[in-house]
Amino acid sequence: MSIPNAPLYDYLPNEGIETIHEMTLRVLEEFGIAFNHDQAVDILERAGCQVDRDAIPAPLVKFPRGLVLEQIGKAPREFTMYARNPQNNVVLGGKHTVLAPVYGPPNVQDLDKGRREATLEDYRNFVKLAQSVPEIHNAGGVVCEPNDEPQATRHLDMMHALLTLSDKTFMGNVVSGENANDCVELAAIVFGGRDKLAQTPAMLSLINVNSPRLFDTRMLDSLFVYARARQPLLITPFILAGAMSPVALGGSLVQQNAEALAGITLTQLINPGTPVVYGSFLSNSDMQSGSPAFGTPESAAALLASAQLARKYKLPFRGGGGLTSSKVADGQAMWEASMTFWPTFLAGTNFVLHAAGWLESGLTSSYEKFVMDIELCRMMQVFRGGIALDEEGLALDAFAEIGPGGYFFGAAHTLRHFRDAFYRPLLADVQNYTRWEQKGAETAEMRAQRVWKKWLREYAPPPMDAGVLEALNEYVARRKQEINAAEAAY
Amino acid sequence: MTPDEILQQMYDNTVLGKVADVTNLTKEGLALEMDPLDMLYGGENKELGGRGLLPALQEVGRRFEVGDFFVPEMLMSAKAMQGALTLLRPLLAAKGEKTVGKIVMGTVKGDVHDIGKNLCNIMMEGAGFEVIDLGVNVSPEKFVKAVQDNQPDVVGFSAFLTTTMPMIKVNIEQLKKAGLRDKVKVMAGGAPVTAHYAEISGTDGYAPDASATARLAKQFVGSDGAVPTGALVDAIAAVENMMSVVEPT
Repeated sequence: MSIPNAPLYDYLPNEGIETIHEMTLRVLEEFGIAFNHDQAVDILERAGCQVDRDAIPAPLVKFPRGLVLEQIGKAPREFTMYARNPQNNVVLGGKHTVLAPVYGPPNVQDLDKGRREATLEDYRNFVKLAQSVPEIHNAGGVVCEPNDEPQATRHLDMMHALLTLSDKTFMGNVVSGENANDCVELAAIVFGGRDKLAQTPAMLSLINVNSPRLFDTRMLDSLFVYARARQPLLITPFILAGAMSPVALGGSLVQQNAEALAGITLTQLINPGTPVVYGSFLSNSDMQSGSPAFGTPESAAALLASAQLARKYKLPFRGGGGLTSSKVADGQAMWEASMTFWPTFLAGTNFVLHAAGWLESGLTSSYEKFVMDIELCRMMQVFRGGIALDEEGLALDAFAEIGPGGYFFGAAHTLRHFRDAFYRPLLADVQNYTRWEQKGAETAEMRAQRVWKKWLREYAPPPMDAGVLEALNEYVARRKQEINAAEAAY
Repeated sequence: MTPDEILQQMYDNTVLGKVADVTNLTKEGLALEMDPLDMLYGGENKELGGRGLLPALQEVGRRFEVGDFFVPEMLMSAKAMQGALTLLRPLLAAKGEKTVGKIVMGTVKGDVHDIGKNLCNIMMEGAGFEVIDLGVNVSPEKFVKAVQDNQPDVVGFSAFLTTTMPMIKVNIEQLKKAGLRDKVKVMAGGAPVTAHYAEISGTDGYAPDASATARLAKQFVGSDGAVPTGALVDAIAAVENMMSVVEPT
């Protein structure tokens, strides 16, 4: 999806953005960010940061403002990600919006079987769904956690599924540096070697900040591997205000900005020019119960302001998705998802993780909600298209043809455009009551179930060179053997 | 201040979550040689209104249930209680009150998330448990050593990531290898951890939230054969009631 006509929504005035920027540089200079990673700390110290290695819980790094601004300036304003099928290449940045499915849930849910632990079969199903729908541009990463596969080797099964069941761009594993290296090697098999892969980046990897103000070791190990392989990185502070940042939105935006810019600075010091995305995952806690809350008005405002900050720094922006705290794909699920989708698209977000399938505060991937979210994605894409004001758009001949009190169903202008004039719902029911009742009185959830089952039935694997497939299989088998042997020795 | 005034002030300031004030009042009461049990229960003169620590926590729990109080307010009340108990615990023990129990807590290796675990710690300390917090990214070896050195009644493993949940089982295997598994009760929790997952990992129990953690710990200590009774157990019950409505964090 690209080149929308509708303008982007500036929630804060420019002086507001400047205030956040100034405060951010002060936080980076005076309070600093902790990095639980010796090599990262060495690099930052050499670049001129002030380092306290004995700080608790991890070495604390204070950034001179000049360094931050100089380094983030090295990151590309937009970049292309290359898919196995060139038709699925995507641009991150500018006016482009790339949508990816839900990421991370240990559980799945559908109408037939209810909520349960996700398996590799579920994982493969969600990759197939992501491949099937044109609204999704990136097949995702942890579309759900395949709990039935051993922890130490499941990243190989996941990457194998992403590379073989889909020919779209995808996301790398960030559980460890070793896992990240496996992902790079597997992608290199498909993309013609590590050097070629570096020139045609294929996977985007999600580096979360353990907010407040802490980068952990595993994430940083992965960041090093991907930055050196020149694969794009998504630096995202994980913030639920009230728990992981102040209850004030202004302060939360400052903290998020400081964390994101610190991570991006590190990526550019490791490998200047590495493609990065400025990430935002900023919602709030429910302060009465302490639980995370999604689709809140505050998170909507924060999303719009976060996108403005990314624009100020000329960096691609990640945020939003179909976020909700609801346990089932019900009314709450969809109004909270809508409350997040609106600002996501009004902000011109460049990468939307969790665009389809997110449920239960990210603890469940829902088959039905996946379809419901696709409906929202489709509507948002039409909304972003703008309003045509050319001759056909203004439809003067229709006025000439149809007089006062007439109707337009048979007008020549109508006959030229009626099939694609308006958005046709994927899921929404617009029949009258009697017809709806006669057709089984299905709720949205029931209709969504029929749709995802149809998509899975009709899924066709994208073609793959037999030699490449064999090399992938061989790599996965060999690494499983090595890892299992190492585990047994432990 | 008279002892009655101190008891009233303890109640008021615990409800309001004024940690330093409650600690100071406790010290002042001890200087006047007041009975620690009176400070816990509020003393004899019930007609004087809310007095003492436990009735204060009951009031906090009531206010939380009707939606007047939020999590941060409840946390501060528990912290105020925790501060007072730190001073009162040795005196209560000297009076023959049974200590409630000792708990080793930590976030498993590879995981640095600790907000949920810290909430559990505060609630359990407020309830009179002695909590030894090993922090985050705790290796199996460190858990084993802490269990050896401290001989706790319970050890609690916290995991926030699907990728670190398997460390719960690894930790238990290491406890087995060290011959410690039958000497300590094991509980586990964290956002992605379910009762089923805790069970197949080999724990003795699972707690979905901070209040359930305190409740579970109490069950464990009770099931040891030596069912604890007395003032500190009442303290647990008070915190437990106060927290009973809190959602998983």
